[in-house]
Amino acid sequence: MSKFQGIEFYKKSDKKYHLLPFRFINLTEEKLLLTNLVGEYYLTDRKVLDDLVHHQLDRENLAYSNLRSRHFLYDEQTSIAKNLLKIKYRTKFNRLADFTSLHMFVVSLRCEHSCPYCQVSRQSDDKKKYDMSEEVASKSIDLTLRSPSKNIKIEFQGGESLLNFELIKYIVEEAKSRNVDKNLGFVIATNLAVVTQEILDYCLMHDIHISTSLDGPKSLHNKNRPRPGKNSYEKTIEGIQLTRDTLGFDKVNALMTTTEASLSMPKEIIDEYLLHNFSGIFLRPLSPYGFAIKTKKFNEYNASRWFEFYKQGLEYIIKLNKEGIRFREFYTSTILKKIFTLSDPGYVDLMSPAGIGIAAVVYNYDGNIFASDESRMLAEMGENKFKMGNVLHDTYKDIFLSDALLDPLEDSFALSVPMCNDCAFENYCGADPVYHYATTNDFVGRKPESDFCYRNMNAFKYIFNRMDSDKFVEDLFMSWSK
Amino acid sequence: MEIEVSFDLKVYSLDTLKKAAYRYINVFSINFDIQPKQVRCTLAFTDKSTPDQCKYYVDQFKKEVLDQDLRNTIKNETEPVRNLILAQAFSKTGLVDDE
Repeated sequence: MSKFQGIEFYKKSDKKYHLLPFRFINLTEEKLLLTNLVGEYYLTDRKVLDDLVHHQLDRENLAYSNLRSRHFLYDEQTSIAKNLLKIKYRTKFNRLADFTSLHMFVVSLRCEHSCPYCQVSRQSDDKKKYDMSEEVASKSIDLTLRSPSKNIKIEFQGGESLLNFELIKYIVEEAKSRNVDKNLGFVIATNLAVVTQEILDYCLMHDIHISTSLDGPKSLHNKNRPRPGKNSYEKTIEGIQLTRDTLGFDKVNALMTTTEASLSMPKEIIDEYLLHNFSGIFLRPLSPYGFAIKTKKFNEYNASRWFEFYKQGLEYIIKLNKEGIRFREFYTSTILKKIFTLSDPGYVDLMSPAGIGIAAVVYNYDGNIFASDESRMLAEMGENKFKMGNVLHDTYKDIFLSDALLDPLEDSFALSVPMCNDCAFENYCGADPVYHYATTNDFVGRKPESDFCYRNMNAFKYIFNRMDSDKFVEDLFMSWSK
Repeated sequence: MEIEVSFDLKVYSLDTLKKAAYRYINVFSINFDIQPKQVRCTLAFTDKSTPDQCKYYVDQFKKEVLDQDLRNTIKNETEPVRNLILAQAFSKTGLVDDE
């Protein structure tokens, strides 16, 4: 007896099939994107969609087998589809059981820079007022190590974190000595202006990574990031070199902040990153915290301008890759990872349930705990909506079961939000209640008026259209998802 | 500027019309007047909207109603299997039956 079904089995003309849950959206007038329960996708036209939904799709049609293999429909030959979807869905949300892995310690609000876009730094010599104390640090370490996550990353933030390097040393050594079974990692976010060989030697000894800021070419960087001596750029570049020499080439990464002045310079900014041999760049969206939040029009205007900036930057990066220069854009990579894999890259803005509190948490210098770095910035503007508690007064349970965390998580869950719940991009997008609260005083906001929605919808459409129109881009983007 | 559009209740549900209208909340406000056999929708645009823009968005709204209707069909057919998959994905209790 043959181990295989005969050809007649596969030629059955019975049109009976069942739909599995999926959503769709127009990418262009003619082209539609279909996404299933776990974010697997299929590009097609209106006729196929109509035929599919009305059970008129012929089995001989190539779309039929494609849609069947991607779990948009099942028939008598593929009854296992439901079980596979179940396993994939469970895998997709597996991260939730791990809970908070990123713990940010704001060791000082003091900073020798005076960047106009920064909401949190303070020019002050008063160390006691704006530096984290050992008592606050100690309690914060206890909370950090209570997280069920096996992998814990402690990130030191500022102000300028290196201005309180003694406390960083205390936290690193205490965390290591109290740790029983976690994989601990450490990152210092610093502008590198005050870094020394001695500091880097300590980082080498404790395998501490460095994350710094590089906004672009010298003129732009120094304009964005004023400091005494007007030499922020020079200090950063020197610091990057010293870090690479001491810790290793890949132990330092750089982030840019997009400002009004950046928007016309995507190529120059990318060239600056290439000049310093970085493997990619994160063309970060504009932050709504601060001045932009007060003037809604300014904000909306910049959402479309950011998208143009992003598009120009991405096209330039694609061109570089076509010329053989390997370089990637990290915002796109994050989205691609969500499109092509079931693992979550852990980018708080693009998570649902929102990543606040359950993917990252911030211990502020004064002991207050916030659900994200943006929540802390909002607090500096006088809005404490996302303050989860204080390390000195509240227990682990009080903090992580606080209404300040659970209310926004519950309210903003994209599967129950108008428009998000039937959006084909929902699997790739996020809830971001902090952003929406900052801009609309509501955890959800109205999505048609949300520039978060505008920005991401446009980015998703652009990414899918580019992959569909250019095989090179499809292959390139696939490689970025790994 | 106000433009009136009517939909037959035998063809489209009020819920479908509401969902379609929500997508254009940033473009027009809407009033639903429910008649025995149809829903009369009055779309109110801002004074800044040109007649061409208004016509464009009325067309888009009509297309969106069709899309929402299709989404509703998918949702109705797939709701049981969706609930089953979600329940089983997060359940190890064995209390959820496949059939």
